[in-house]
Amino acid sequence: MFSFDPYSPAVDADPFPFYKTLRDEYPCFWSKEANMWVLSRYADIVTALNDWQTYSSAKGNLMTELPNRAGATLGTTDPPRHDRLRGLVQHAFMKRNLESLVEPIKQIAKETAAPLADMKQFDFISEFSSKFTVRVLWAALGLPLGDEALVREKAVLMVQSDPTTKAKGPEHIAAYNWMQDYAAGVIAERRKNPKDDLISHFSMAEIDGDKLDEREVLLTTTTLIMAGVESLGGFMAMFAYNMADYHDARRQCVANPDLLADAIEESLRFNTSAQRFRRCLTKDTELHGQVMKEGDFVCLTYGSGNRDERQYPNPDVYDISRKPKGHLGFGGSVHACLGTTIARISVKAAMEAFHQVVPEYRRVQEQLPWLPSSTFRSPMRLELARG
Amino acid sequence: MPNVTYIEPNGNQVQIDVPAGWSIMQAAMSNGVEGIEAECGGSCACATCHCYVESHVDAIPAAAENELSMMENVVAERKPNSRLCCQIKMTPELEGLVIRFPEAQS
Repeated sequence: MFSFDPYSPAVDADPFPFYKTLRDEYPCFWSKEANMWVLSRYADIVTALNDWQTYSSAKGNLMTELPNRAGATLGTTDPPRHDRLRGLVQHAFMKRNLESLVEPIKQIAKETAAPLADMKQFDFISEFSSKFTVRVLWAALGLPLGDEALVREKAVLMVQSDPTTKAKGPEHIAAYNWMQDYAAGVIAERRKNPKDDLISHFSMAEIDGDKLDEREVLLTTTTLIMAGVESLGGFMAMFAYNMADYHDARRQCVANPDLLADAIEESLRFNTSAQRFRRCLTKDTELHGQVMKEGDFVCLTYGSGNRDERQYPNPDVYDISRKPKGHLGFGGSVHACLGTTIARISVKAAMEAFHQVVPEYRRVQEQLPWLPSSTFRSPMRLELARG
Repeated sequence: MPNVTYIEPNGNQVQIDVPAGWSIMQAAMSNGVEGIEAECGGSCACATCHCYVESHVDAIPAAAENELSMMENVVAERKPNSRLCCQIKMTPELEGLVIRFPEAQS
């Protein structure tokens, strides 16, 4: 009897065979382990993303939601409230407004890569991607320096879930609470001494003349920091994992760094770190002969939609010349990732600098320690060796 | 599924069967139509899915206030038939719709 348990370490390690069975045999599947429906085909996921009236985010979007967060963040509100919140922050993340960050990000990448020149073998995550992502995020959000390592540690903890209890554990909740306190401190400081930065603007913003709800300001800021640190770092680790395993693709990118942009898109399709998000049905809905009930949760399996042969030919081949359009590596529709542009700029700059210092490398661990998370998929350590 | 013709900035025409309920932006992005960026994913928050509606103008619900104000940010010329195509949902009435993308989105 087929089962799909997004909490199981087997799914953390390799979800793709499960996804294939889901797509081919159970396109609308009830997972009793996750207590929700699972949609796995590209077209069904995109239809659900577009139909936010039926597939609501207001009861949370993380597979294992954090307490008291739903309804107060971009990812956990529906239009029109969502669109107004997004309107307040989108401009800071637009391509045209991020150009001034390109050179500083390249500089951060060079400085972070330089110490690797003396290392034969290293953990990509602790020695490079973590250091890089916190510095980029601090530059983008204007966060006060000093706590970077601790903030990252908490961000990585708060996205995890416990595979045994299938819930957030006390350590995950504690990290989430810590992050809220940290965000509250930043918000208070910005209100006292406003700067021309995102958090200053957002913490004093109004929608239709009303100040934002304090919970919205706090939890949106908390989520921005979490997503900035964890999601950017998680994806970068997945990208390095692909570059380490697919030698031809890497050599092409080392020879011509412009190809990194295509390789990033293919990695977003092939094994994005944002694997699964959820929605909640606002009415009974029939799909593939199943009736899903109002109030049921539905998992949108982005990682599976990206491997759907109905959308992408030879989906299990990592092909950097594919130029996959419409992939779900950043989710999609109104809840598509806010940080798409800064993520693309950052990962490209980071890997270009990394490749200048470490052009030839391979993966050391046969089995990777995967993050225990029902939503995200990335390794917690990625040992690389030169040559 | 109703059929939509997208005209790319270089004049190339792409015909796509767009499922009802998908936005006109979504189908363009999922099928790799050139001339659209849609940076915000369809929240009416970025003005980079600017299009000119070349047919069915009367069959499409008029732009709401947020779309009208966001259209002040389009880069290409704003014309009377300018819309942000993330705000146009596909319906059977729009069978045969023709959408043209401008030279630039950002």
